[in-house]
Amino acid sequence: MLREERRARLLEAMSEAGVDAMVVYGNAWQGDYLRYAADFGILEGHGIAIVTAAGAIELYVDSAVEAERAEAETTGLAIALAPDIGRAVAQRLDRIANHRIAAAPRRFLPSFLADAGRAFALADGTALVDRLLMHKLPVELDAMRRAAKLADEGYAVFRKAAIPGRRQYELCSAVEAFLRAKGCPDNFMILGSGGRDVLGMTPPSDRRIVAGDLVTTELTPSVEGYYAQICRTLVVGKATAKQLRAHDVYREALEAGIAAVRPGATAADVARAENDVFRKYGLGDYVTDRYTRVRGHGLGLFVDSKPHILEDVETVLAPGMAIIVHPNTYHPEIGYMVLGDAVLVTETGAEVLLRTPRQLFELGG
Amino acid sequence: MRRGLIARSKAELPDAIFAGRVERTRAAMTKAGLGALVVYSNNTRAAGASWLTGFVPYWSEGVMVLTRAGDPALVVALSKRVQTWIEATSRVASVVSTPRIGAETAKLIAASGGGAVGVADLDGFPAGIADDMRAAGCALADATDMFAALRGPADPAELALAAHAAAIAHDALACILPEHGDANAVIAAVEGRARAHAAEECYVALAPDLARERRFKRIEGQASLGRSHAIRATVAYKGAWVRLARTVFRDHDKAHIAPAAAEVFAACVAGLPQASGFGGASAWLVEGCRVAQPLEALMGSRVDAPRRPAPGALVSVTTCIEHEGEPVMLAAPALLGASGEPAALLVPPVFREGD
Repeated sequence: MLREERRARLLEAMSEAGVDAMVVYGNAWQGDYLRYAADFGILEGHGIAIVTAAGAIELYVDSAVEAERAEAETTGLAIALAPDIGRAVAQRLDRIANHRIAAAPRRFLPSFLADAGRAFALADGTALVDRLLMHKLPVELDAMRRAAKLADEGYAVFRKAAIPGRRQYELCSAVEAFLRAKGCPDNFMILGSGGRDVLGMTPPSDRRIVAGDLVTTELTPSVEGYYAQICRTLVVGKATAKQLRAHDVYREALEAGIAAVRPGATAADVARAENDVFRKYGLGDYVTDRYTRVRGHGLGLFVDSKPHILEDVETVLAPGMAIIVHPNTYHPEIGYMVLGDAVLVTETGAEVLLRTPRQLFELGG
Repeated sequence: MRRGLIARSKAELPDAIFAGRVERTRAAMTKAGLGALVVYSNNTRAAGASWLTGFVPYWSEGVMVLTRAGDPALVVALSKRVQTWIEATSRVASVVSTPRIGAETAKLIAASGGGAVGVADLDGFPAGIADDMRAAGCALADATDMFAALRGPADPAELALAAHAAAIAHDALACILPEHGDANAVIAAVEGRARAHAAEECYVALAPDLARERRFKRIEGQASLGRSHAIRATVAYKGAWVRLARTVFRDHDKAHIAPAAAEVFAACVAGLPQASGFGGASAWLVEGCRVAQPLEALMGSRVDAPRRPAPGALVSVTTCIEHEGEPVMLAAPALLGASGEPAALLVPPVFREGD
């Protein structure tokens, strides 16, 4: 049902925009556009779908194992293995060169397809698909709620696994194994452990967890391709007064950010609400891009969707959008700290998807 | 998205290995009249830039730039805050963090003397970066064949990493017990074990019931396992990727079938890449790295235009062999002979019960 509803919506949007065919690109990093159009979660190589106004979908992949997997996992698509994918898709588009064709996300397309020498012209259809990705259908929101439940459960596993002596990658292994056992095929996860020396989160290193560490993570499981994220921090041992005071600032900022989420508010309003709390406590420097990237972001078929929650992003929030509010940043007294909740924009405000308490967890403290 | 260990070990990848690769690449650039070589990288196409620098983005994208002098530089869309992580996991002269990769790459090349810019896999280079580089005055030339000729044969360091990845995959698949009936329990066991042994990435795919379906797929939700089923682990370790598959027969009287088929498989692999078919198998596939995609389809029953791998190249071979009327799914990494000798499996796809 989810797949059919998405396809119908895409065809309707194409019709409204006067687009006869949409060329949709994806890889395992930026796979949301392709997943939306073709319902295939690509892992290796390039994938390109051509969606016609009549509803036919052809999926080209350059990996042989992905071609086989797409055949086994999808229905209603014509699938082609095309090691020279740019040229194969170009040959196909040559046959409809006199039609209005758009591409999304155009900037990631193989350059062969976007070359000015082609017989066909590809308009930029990125904004058209972006709108569909941001403003979700009820069935998409239901998948996000289920993903959020897994995020809560996954974080409980993370807390138990963060024991002194364990290496960061072993900690990730425990969480990933838990999620696979629950039938969850994918998760995005970065983390950090240590003290004031830690400036952010990265993939796991071989650093061992030691007593006194602040252990941060951003854990993002997916259900039917939809990602929901949780950000929390724990202390290995008893939290110090400084750590608890610092965490209070992050919690106040998160709550201020969530309170600003409502239809008609902008991404900038949410970011400003979070950052004003830091500025109030004299920590304004630490909400700049020297110490933090974004104050949250969209969620959905991509972990880091639009809109980015920043003070210069004027995207207007509307019911059906999903974002994470996370005032994650470096704190000069205690190091990098994270705290964030995934929320849905409702008719009246925000629906918080997570149940994990907004506290600085203590491991064995 | 990568969520396993990404780290650099100077014991596994000494400076001298990178220096030798850079020197050979620069010599080829000079011969081709190139002022710079650009290799794109994201988390699915990292095998070109990582070969020269060790850099593997867990997220986002970037390009490696090699100019006429010095170590390679990286221009990445990752934020400045992870620059220290990039420097700790890569061997590079400099890292530029920017959302405008193409424009900054063009500036960097111009500052180092300009000249023709070779792009490895120009056809697949992202249009946005190519457009920005051309707008800044770069003349882009296709350097795919030049780079593939350098990248193809495996050196001892790459071979050692691939052997390690193969050992991780073998160990992970060996933990499966025939009495396992739940697909998710099997996937969790395999992936958990691979990641606990420092796999950088692990994709597990299943053919849950070979009596009904031979194609591998990723499982979401619940699935039960048939009397015979197959598990494929695609494992990366420090930039080296391998595929390994195991077919499990839950009936003890069929336990001998998979090892017997593995012997046939090893004999077929030995004939690569000269073999025009693959022992008569209806479905077979040879994958390897030419430029940046770690496991690219090179030869096989579905590959219309084969690209013969270089002598001495690492490949992963996949097939289905019928034995005693049962399909046996097999996959394993192999090293092709450098001077005409038979190709050899890095690890045999044989798993003893209780390993």
